[in-house]
Amino acid sequence: MAQTKTPTFIHEIESLVSDELQVVSYKWLSRNYMVSANEAKRVLQEFVQKHEGELEVVYALSGWLKSKDPTDHQTRLVTGPKLAEAQQEFDGDCSVQVYSVQASMPKDKALLWNAEFVQAEELFKQPSTVDNCLRDNRFCEITNSFVRRKVDGSRVVSAAPQSKSAVGEGPTKTNTVQKSPKSIARDSIDKVDAKPQNVIQEVKSESNGIGNTVALDNINKPTTEKEKALPLPTGKKKVPADKSGSVARGSLASFWSCASAKPKPCTSSVENNNTVSNPAVSTENAQTACEEECDSGIDDNQNVSVRRSSSRKRRVVFDFSDEDEDDDDVVNLASPDFPNKQSSEDSSQDDKNTSEKTTLNFDLQEENKSRVKEERETDQKAHLPLGGNVSAISKCTNTGKSSSEKLESCAPEARVNKGSVNNAAPCSPKRRKVMKTRIDERGREVVEVVWEGEETEVKKPDKVTTKNTDSKTNAANSAPATKKPPANSHANNGQGGNKKAGNKDPKQGNLLSFFKKV
Amino acid sequence: MGIERVQCGYVSLDETFEIRKEKYHGQQYCHIYFARLHLMRTLLYSLVPHWKPNYPVCTVLELEEGKECVIVGTLYKHMKLKPRILDEYSKQKSVVPLVKPHNFMHSDDYLVLEDESGRVKLNGNIIPPSEYVTGIVVALLGKESGAGDFLVQDVLDTGLPPQIEFPLKSGEDKYVVLVSGLSVGSSTSNPLQFQLLIDQITGHLGDEKAQRFASKIVQVVFAGNLVEIPQRILNGQNLASEDFARMSEPIRELDIMLSQIAAGLPLDIMPGPSDPANFSLPQQSLHGCLFPGSSTYNTFRSCTNPHCFELDNVRFLGTSGQNVDDLDKYSDAKDKLEFMERTLRWRHLAPTAPNTLGCFPFTERDPFFLESCPHVYFVGNQDKFETRIVNGSEGQLVRLICVPKFSETGVAVMINLRDLECHALSFTVDL
Repeated sequence: MAQTKTPTFIHEIESLVSDELQVVSYKWLSRNYMVSANEAKRVLQEFVQKHEGELEVVYALSGWLKSKDPTDHQTRLVTGPKLAEAQQEFDGDCSVQVYSVQASMPKDKALLWNAEFVQAEELFKQPSTVDNCLRDNRFCEITNSFVRRKVDGSRVVSAAPQSKSAVGEGPTKTNTVQKSPKSIARDSIDKVDAKPQNVIQEVKSESNGIGNTVALDNINKPTTEKEKALPLPTGKKKVPADKSGSVARGSLASFWSCASAKPKPCTSSVENNNTVSNPAVSTENAQTACEEECDSGIDDNQNVSVRRSSSRKRRVVFDFSDEDEDDDDVVNLASPDFPNKQSSEDSSQDDKNTSEKTTLNFDLQEENKSRVKEERETDQKAHLPLGGNVSAISKCTNTGKSSSEKLESCAPEARVNKGSVNNAAPCSPKRRKVMKTRIDERGREVVEVVWEGEETEVKKPDKVTTKNTDSKTNAANSAPATKKPPANSHANNGQGGNKKAGNKDPKQGNLLSFFKKV
Repeated sequence: MGIERVQCGYVSLDETFEIRKEKYHGQQYCHIYFARLHLMRTLLYSLVPHWKPNYPVCTVLELEEGKECVIVGTLYKHMKLKPRILDEYSKQKSVVPLVKPHNFMHSDDYLVLEDESGRVKLNGNIIPPSEYVTGIVVALLGKESGAGDFLVQDVLDTGLPPQIEFPLKSGEDKYVVLVSGLSVGSSTSNPLQFQLLIDQITGHLGDEKAQRFASKIVQVVFAGNLVEIPQRILNGQNLASEDFARMSEPIRELDIMLSQIAAGLPLDIMPGPSDPANFSLPQQSLHGCLFPGSSTYNTFRSCTNPHCFELDNVRFLGTSGQNVDDLDKYSDAKDKLEFMERTLRWRHLAPTAPNTLGCFPFTERDPFFLESCPHVYFVGNQDKFETRIVNGSEGQLVRLICVPKFSETGVAVMINLRDLECHALSFTVDL
């Protein structure tokens, strides 16, 4: 294996050293090309023999020094010209190996170490659940099977067989890590027809005025798009909130829960599964979708609530109910028109979003075991990208819908894993806060009290929903209602449930009342 | 084709240096002196019958002129040059001789012995003030002279504590590496040297022979001064945001480096004077949250400052250097190893605590009292690498080691557990 690699290596080393003026040390080489340290040293040796005289070479000598009391085992770095002289000081045979190769000798000796440290820093920054070559020391020749690493309570054998087998695995892992996201992103992109512009425009319009009016305008177009667009602004709002607020592990869990809850109702109506290619992607998408859906469905108010609420599960549920209303509307409306456009919209996800998602996906794939951390990471990442790009949210929503099937499959797992955590968080306080925030942002009349706020919220959503729903829902409701009884319940919940949201049952009752109004 | 690293049993004996439930209620240091005197006097009383069977033992108050007797008490060294906070407030202008650059010794210094009953000034050439410091408990034979002084004729200190039996030679080489004074983040430290150390002991550097050698390293101990945080930042002012980064950067870098070691072999870290730990001895272990990367390894141990542990029944005891540095300020010896040897003979790790060395005001015990003798006794953050073997009267054998500052010398110390052979592990960048 090494022999086959050697030539390409050497070629790359040459360009690195002579063109990019980089210090190529054996350790950097070993990490960068996933070979053992000894192999890297051998390759460097070969390289130096081929290019003798063209480069500055630093040798590492190690051995016992002559006649010193107490005895001294020295490791010394010397340049090529001083090598012979330095060797004289060692007693007997000392090991001489190439330490690094560079075009010129840096004035600051620490520069020899810089590239290597930057590399170590990058490896160090990787999520703690990833076992990289920094963490398991796999490229050295000395193994220690007693070394364990604790990751989120579970112990990882970091020092596992480090020799060749580990080395062989090393590159594959890294490759998957680095490339998998891209490939996934590409896949998703390919599948999805990009229509980000429409979404963005919609979003803007929504954000500017009240989403409802825009939505009405958009209604002529595929309602799904409008709905998606609506979620986008909300998504943005949520994202910063999530960031600012301490990102609790529960947040991801909440997303999962939302995803699971929402997608299921949607799935019946929505049948677009094309977009999601990989399960991991789907899960991520589902998360994002859930967020988006929640946001969109809830309108700004819901979004606000999400921000404030520390424990998201409950929130999500509430939001969810609200969302469900919207979703239901959307779904209903969309269900007929739905599939192509939504899928296309879904596909419209920006590259950035996809990349982010992919990264998230990547994490998920590698780290299925510890999902909590992953969740955090994904949340943060997802939030960041979402905040940056509205389109991303749209993507997420799209994926969520399209991936509803996937979501279902994935969501239950998430629930199982995270359900306990989510459950722990109380619902009522969050809602109250949420209600307040909504009022403030919109500057509407809504009463300060949490419950009152809910009522006001209900009114608002009613307007929106009525607009959308009136036009859309009527048609949609008839179809969706039959299709998805749960969806209806959710919709009902959303209106009444946002305020009271703690229990699903009360929400449902509220939703029913809403329908009556409609 | 990997070489399996040699393993070794580890037992931590840091309990006595943990403050744990001790609380500070404004208590002063008399308790610690009392505990020390009580412990050591019991010990000395048991030795006196063998030492001077024909002389009576009495307290300071029972001294009579001309009567030869043995007294036991705590030494206090009156030092002319010792800085006193009260001097700043004195209104009398007095002529104070200049302090010498390296310590506070003066030829006029004299010793006083005190117990619960009283104190007496000591005279005689037997007990030169330059060798002793405040806080040691000794037994003295002598008689009261006319001037009310006590003329010392002989001195008995407690001697080396008993030692657990050195394990039978197994014939297998196992090495322990002691490193001190990394000072990550200081302008004098060369990160390349530290990286070489890491690569050497984890088995990246060197040919197969060197790596086989490295595989026998069973433990690394970092004896204090791991990081150096710029003094400019630590002025008690509110920090600017960029200063926060500057303050945490050395620790983060250290964490990255330490995790490379922890991935390969067990490592202990001890706090030192420049580390973000409590100032007073015993310094408590650095919290794991400072090292989010390396603390996830089971091989990573954060330890107290006087640090005591056993490897395959070979007992190690070490400090980050404060005790010997303080002795160096208030007494005299031909080298640092002699200070170390004295602390063993006095059976007290840090006799100048709490007098001139910061110390937690323990009420029940004196954690620095040495109940048993280590096989390896090391002190960190010294100027150069020194080592010697000390033999006790009861067959004790102790390897004394001064561990040099790595950031300045590039030298770590390697001890062979098999025979306590000791040699330097040096790293130079000669470009």
